[in-house]
Amino acid sequence: MGDTLSFFLMSWLDPSLLILTAVGTLAGIYVGAIPGLSVTMATSILISFTFSWDVNDALALIVGIYTGGVYGGSRTAILLNIPGAPSSVATAFDGYPLAQQGEAGRAIGLSTVMSVIGGLLGTLVLASVSPFLADMALEFAPRDYFLIAALGLLLVGSLAAESLSRGIFAAALGAVIGLVGLDPVTADPRFTLGSMQLMGGIHYVVVMIGMFGVAEAFFQLHQLDTQPVRQKVDKILPSLSLVLKFLPLSIRTSLIGVIVGALPGTGGDIASLFAYDHAKRTVKKPSKPFGEGAYEGLVAPETANNAAVGGAYVPMLTLGMPGDAVTAIIIGALTIHGLNPGPMLMIETPYIFWFTVGNLVLANLFLLLFGLTGIKLFAKVVELPKAILIPLILVLCVVGTYSLNGSMTEVYWMLGFGLLGYFMKVFRFQMGPVILGVILGPLMDKSYRQAMASVGNDSAAFVSALFTHPLSLVLTLAVLFLLLGHSPLKRLLRREKAA
Amino acid sequence: MSHPPPLKAGERAFNLLLLLFSVGVFYEAYRISGFDLPNSAGAFPLLLGAIMIVTMVSILLGQRHHPRPAAGGVLGEWRQFLATHFPLPVVLFSLLAVGYLLALPALGFIAATALFLLVAQLCLRRGHWLSAVLVTVLITAVIYALFTLLFQVYLP
Repeated sequence: MGDTLSFFLMSWLDPSLLILTAVGTLAGIYVGAIPGLSVTMATSILISFTFSWDVNDALALIVGIYTGGVYGGSRTAILLNIPGAPSSVATAFDGYPLAQQGEAGRAIGLSTVMSVIGGLLGTLVLASVSPFLADMALEFAPRDYFLIAALGLLLVGSLAAESLSRGIFAAALGAVIGLVGLDPVTADPRFTLGSMQLMGGIHYVVVMIGMFGVAEAFFQLHQLDTQPVRQKVDKILPSLSLVLKFLPLSIRTSLIGVIVGALPGTGGDIASLFAYDHAKRTVKKPSKPFGEGAYEGLVAPETANNAAVGGAYVPMLTLGMPGDAVTAIIIGALTIHGLNPGPMLMIETPYIFWFTVGNLVLANLFLLLFGLTGIKLFAKVVELPKAILIPLILVLCVVGTYSLNGSMTEVYWMLGFGLLGYFMKVFRFQMGPVILGVILGPLMDKSYRQAMASVGNDSAAFVSALFTHPLSLVLTLAVLFLLLGHSPLKRLLRREKAA
Repeated sequence: MSHPPPLKAGERAFNLLLLLFSVGVFYEAYRISGFDLPNSAGAFPLLLGAIMIVTMVSILLGQRHHPRPAAGGVLGEWRQFLATHFPLPVVLFSLLAVGYLLALPALGFIAATALFLLVAQLCLRRGHWLSAVLVTVLITAVIYALFTLLFQVYLP
């Protein structure tokens, strides 16, 4: 207990960790708020600079950026009707109408408090559920890891993409990129095309910076002349009665957020849309009609997307599976620092878990402080012209990629992935499944081969094991349910029933 | 009966390219260890290649009833593709980005970055030359100081 408390308070008592968390949270709010910058982009660029840092410093900064960034998007959603991040799309539905009605300050204040409530509840669930889940995970067989990873990719494919086929294609493409290089078991070259440079593989950060940074910069060029409509900001601090009034809804939507966030592959964007839908269906008498400035429509997505942060850490710390794209990046960072994300993390380095929990709580407290102050400066910064922002993004992407290994070849690769990402975005392929595929591909390959080896390379025995072990059966059914739920067979059956 | 929405200009061609790429992935996966043991180095890559082909065929089949995005055949669609996805700012920025990467080894980080930022701003934000110069100096200085002093990383 004493150890747990000291690990929990590490970032509270160490001045440098405290400052890094504060700086990360503040920077995250701006990164999340500026349309064109995203938390994933920022963490993927930042992670390359922190490889040489102490792991605690790196984690403190990233936790701050992640927490601040998920919240930051809400400010521009309310003030400018431009969600700064995908997780704030639902916030704009009622947040902007509230601002138009002269309640921008109150909307920002309420969204800040609700984000903090969501963030703290998400962290509470992380702290209480993870130790049990990690214990359970020790019993998982390699085929279960394979199935969980497949389930994560299917989930993100079906929820993030326009169609399951597009999502699965993007995830498989990511997995192929993740497998480039020498096979870790047999040293066979895979997808290297005879190139020596590809033998070492393609660094996942290069792919991420290209697909989230450069692709987004190119995409933003289409909106160079978009002029936001400014809103007047009045009193920010919400009254206690207003907060208490929405507390039951915020608890419900926080739970939605943490559950959706904990599903491998999903994140705050999906959680906030689910929560908004939940509020619309369950709140019979909203303060105003939904879409016209209902406080409930602001509270639900804002609590859910910040609760999803804690949720996303659950599979990452207990199973070594990313909850979303940001935790996918953090997994890479932990591995590079010699740590082992997964069930063994709690046994080998329990301090990392409690340090992360304490750091998340601290970041949420900083969020409350920074969220309720500095709005005037904020309004100026987020209106940074795109003609400055876009070249700046490219420079940061170059610096971030080069700092990985000091290689200009990787910088060229990064630009190539950026162009591929741009076209994929243009033609409605999502980047999330690609990135998760890059991280999960090698893990799935390893788990699949271990599972096959455990049944003596007998394919029939492998399939049989999927249906005869209770956990594997549940996971297999979930995978099949997702696949069949989106298959043409279901559409045919539905059409037949309708006829 | 509702009509499916028209495809984006170049969408079918892009998807066909992805299908070709998927076939290439499958072939490369086969070259790793053929259809050897189910836990060979090439087994999972083969599965991925097959999945990419199947999903891309499914996407293309799903689009067969969608109307063409533009009149005038392939040439009309090509023109629309360029106009929609390669407006002048995108073309200019792409050229500048390539130029920047090529200039980095020759000019060094500070000179290449300053030049890139200045030209990019002048191209994308016509007429603001004084603010472009000031912003260029400021950003270059901040990036240099931040990354060399605080993050202590090597710059190109």
